[in-house]
Amino acid sequence: MKIVSTHPWHITAGLVIWAVWFVAIYGGLSVACVVSPPPPDSGVFNWINAALMISTLVTSAYLAWCALLCWRRMQDSVKQARFTLRLAAAVYLVGCLATLAVGVPTMVIVPCL
Amino acid sequence: MNRESVLDAKFSRVWDNLPGWGALAAVNHTSISLRFMLTGVVFFLLGGILAMLIRTQLALPEHDLLSPDLYAQVFTMHGTVMMFLFAIPVLEGAAMYLIPKMIGTRDLVFPRLSALGYYCYLFGGLIITSSLLLGIAPDAGWFMYTPLSSAEFSPGPGSDFWLLGITFVEISAVSAGIELTVSILRTRAPGMTLGKMPIFAWYILAMALMIVFGFPPLIFASILLELERAAGMPFFDSAAGGDPVLWQHLFWLFGHPEVYIIFLPAAGIVSTILPVFAGRPLVGYRWIVLAVITMGFISFGLWVHHMFTVGIPQLAQAFFSVASMLVAIPTGIQVFAWIATLWTGRVSFQLPMLWMFGFLFIFVCGGLTGVMLALVPFNWQVHDTHFVVAHFHYVLIGGMLFPLIGGLYYWLPHFSGRMPSKKIGSWAFWLVFLGFNITFLLMHITGLLGMPRRVFTYQSDLGWDWLNLLSSFGGFIMAMGVGMLILDVIMHFKFGAKASHNPWMADTLEWATGTPPTTYNFISIPRIENRHPLWQDQGLPRSMAQGVHGLSSIEHGRRELYGTDAITGKLKEVMHIPSHSWWPLLVALALAIVCISLLVRAYPVAMGAAVVAAVFLFRWSWENGAHKSMAPLTPEEQARDEPPLHSRTCDGPGLWGMAVTLLADGALYLSLLFGWLYLWTVAPNWAVPESSAIPLGKMALSGALLTVAVVLYRRLVKRLCGGNDQHLVIQLWLVTGLGLLHLLVLLWITLTSELQYTKLAHDAVLLVMLAFLIFHSGLSVIVTGLQALRAGYGYVSARLPYEPVVMNPMWLFSLTIFWISYASFLLLPLVWKAA
Repeated sequence: MKIVSTHPWHITAGLVIWAVWFVAIYGGLSVACVVSPPPPDSGVFNWINAALMISTLVTSAYLAWCALLCWRRMQDSVKQARFTLRLAAAVYLVGCLATLAVGVPTMVIVPCL
Repeated sequence: MNRESVLDAKFSRVWDNLPGWGALAAVNHTSISLRFMLTGVVFFLLGGILAMLIRTQLALPEHDLLSPDLYAQVFTMHGTVMMFLFAIPVLEGAAMYLIPKMIGTRDLVFPRLSALGYYCYLFGGLIITSSLLLGIAPDAGWFMYTPLSSAEFSPGPGSDFWLLGITFVEISAVSAGIELTVSILRTRAPGMTLGKMPIFAWYILAMALMIVFGFPPLIFASILLELERAAGMPFFDSAAGGDPVLWQHLFWLFGHPEVYIIFLPAAGIVSTILPVFAGRPLVGYRWIVLAVITMGFISFGLWVHHMFTVGIPQLAQAFFSVASMLVAIPTGIQVFAWIATLWTGRVSFQLPMLWMFGFLFIFVCGGLTGVMLALVPFNWQVHDTHFVVAHFHYVLIGGMLFPLIGGLYYWLPHFSGRMPSKKIGSWAFWLVFLGFNITFLLMHITGLLGMPRRVFTYQSDLGWDWLNLLSSFGGFIMAMGVGMLILDVIMHFKFGAKASHNPWMADTLEWATGTPPTTYNFISIPRIENRHPLWQDQGLPRSMAQGVHGLSSIEHGRRELYGTDAITGKLKEVMHIPSHSWWPLLVALALAIVCISLLVRAYPVAMGAAVVAAVFLFRWSWENGAHKSMAPLTPEEQARDEPPLHSRTCDGPGLWGMAVTLLADGALYLSLLFGWLYLWTVAPNWAVPESSAIPLGKMALSGALLTVAVVLYRRLVKRLCGGNDQHLVIQLWLVTGLGLLHLLVLLWITLTSELQYTKLAHDAVLLVMLAFLIFHSGLSVIVTGLQALRAGYGYVSARLPYEPVVMNPMWLFSLTIFWISYASFLLLPLVWKAA
């Protein structure tokens, strides 16, 4: 499957990716805190926060890129496909913003407390 | 007789229900949906009476109208009845009634499933409510938290009534979710692309898919808790390696989306009604679609916000806190779109609009307290107080009941052909609106003053007396309003003024049917070119009734729908759907016997009834495709100017139904996987036996047999769709045989393994995993055997490839969960241990 096409999957893909990422960081945080919790006084500069921040940035960058591709493809599509592509672009963008928003606490809150 | 009457008589002969007791065999969506809604209203009245009992008890300090035990039963049943037996079924009923009419088709795509859903709901509801009459109702709260609901603290049958009854009712919800999803995607009138779909259909599509994903975690949790209570398998018992918090996770994975499952269809009613009374199209159709999709997803990411006080790490709480606030954005988009629609239109202040304004006011207030509760420190402060009770009543009553009543008044002329009384309706509105606000606005203050929820009384020196008295007073005013509403609706059937056709000048296709509608909805199906078909062409109802458009032939005697492409609305096939059938009622009766037998611990009877239910279901499946009661091959079907019948294709609605069913099944399996990983990483006393009781080699052998069976089956299906049915019967029997061998090995492993499933949560989960695999493989084997028999009868062939295609994803699913289970439940622990 192409990264962006008129397939209906793209109408929900942005938020499916967000949901998977969300569950992964929640589950990952729990497991990481069992396996190797950083010392409580290490502040936010520890491996768990770093991993969560990187995953946030990578995921949101990918979603933003997909949104851009959908938008570009919409410009030269037939009218019938435009609704799907515009919707898909918006959903990817929403996924991107939701990822960034949920990821913000990783910059200010210490994990495992 | 004119042409319309002649056509009506012909269509009615095919589509009408049987007379008298035969009505119990009805499968028509209009009949079934009205039953859903009427039954839901009866349960609503019961829930309302329970609410009045609660408010009477709390009206005065140290009141002794209800004993503590009875009070616990009453508040548990109030929540249970309102959430499970009223809100969801009524909204599903409304959706089932409206969706086919709005998208321009004659029925839902799996009518027998709708009928089964209704009977499961009715019997499940009767089982649960009977416990109240017997004085043994559940008393652990509608959320049934463990260990309060476990055998130790709830020793009577109350929790069992809840667990079994609710699971039974949820079969109904999930079946409606599947039914609505496939119907919306595949049976829209030709030309109705996704972008031209009525906005209500978008809301219902989102709701239906949310049910498909959201209900399985609770079904799974209920099964686990019942296994713990009945068989001593310790999933939630921390002493044996379980964890009571697992219940909360699984419950709220269902419970929070549930709020949006209730809200979305109600918001769909608002988005449908407001433009009609504003006399202009909805502002921001695309924005609203985006908001609905966003809400559908983000609402799943909020489940932990019900658990901020159970000891989850602060960073994780922050993730859920942010997600809880994010969900306010799509809600806000919708509210602003509604306001903009009103602002830019010429609003006609009819009765339904009163309820719409009530909704906007109350729901916005509820949304604001929702944002407050999303803040973790505030949440800690008011957790388990009446503030929370007030908040969720603002959201649920404001967000669901007000739009529902607005919708009732709006579509009342559609049911009855008569108009409601504006005077009595207005009185009902103001009584409900004022009564509601007096009751619950004050409850915010009671909560902030520290009054906990679920306590049966309080002392008089705490400053809560007058607030509670006024709250109760408001509750009774609201009850009077509801009484007046019911009176108005009943009286309007006799005294209401005759409604003109399309009395509100609406734009959607449901007003193109008769009022009341016929059982077949439309004599002919037009091509839809616009989002507002009745505004575009006011003569459409007439031309549809005259049979000018497609699918107007009925001489063949089949109930037929158009099948269209999910995205483009391009015409693809003609779907033939079943006529009235007794199987749904018989299956539901057998399942009810299973439930009741489990309640009274009569396990042999339960097993017998389960077998009978399975036999009935397989017999039901026999009446499909080219069976003589459905659509046997005839020369007529090739001669007429219509696309092929769906059972002659490789992409019929059954395939879509199977795919959506497997999404629900997958959600159930993911819940199992989540439970396993959760207990493994979080349960304080998780214990792993020295060596696994399940032999890896024999499991691999079983998996290898399954893999070969699936490869052969998929090859067979590919050849069949390519027009090659050589040796079909032999191939189907071969797959059945291989599948059976795999199943026998799996059964042998299960029966001979020495799992300590009553002592260790670890082994109990493994047993559930094995049972899950056995169930799916067993089902695949039996159905493939039936296909082999059907091929022998000539019901399956290169011209009739449909049924093996439908079963294809089922085999693939069985294979996938087998190997995921092998990797996650058996290999991963070994790897982890070795590391």
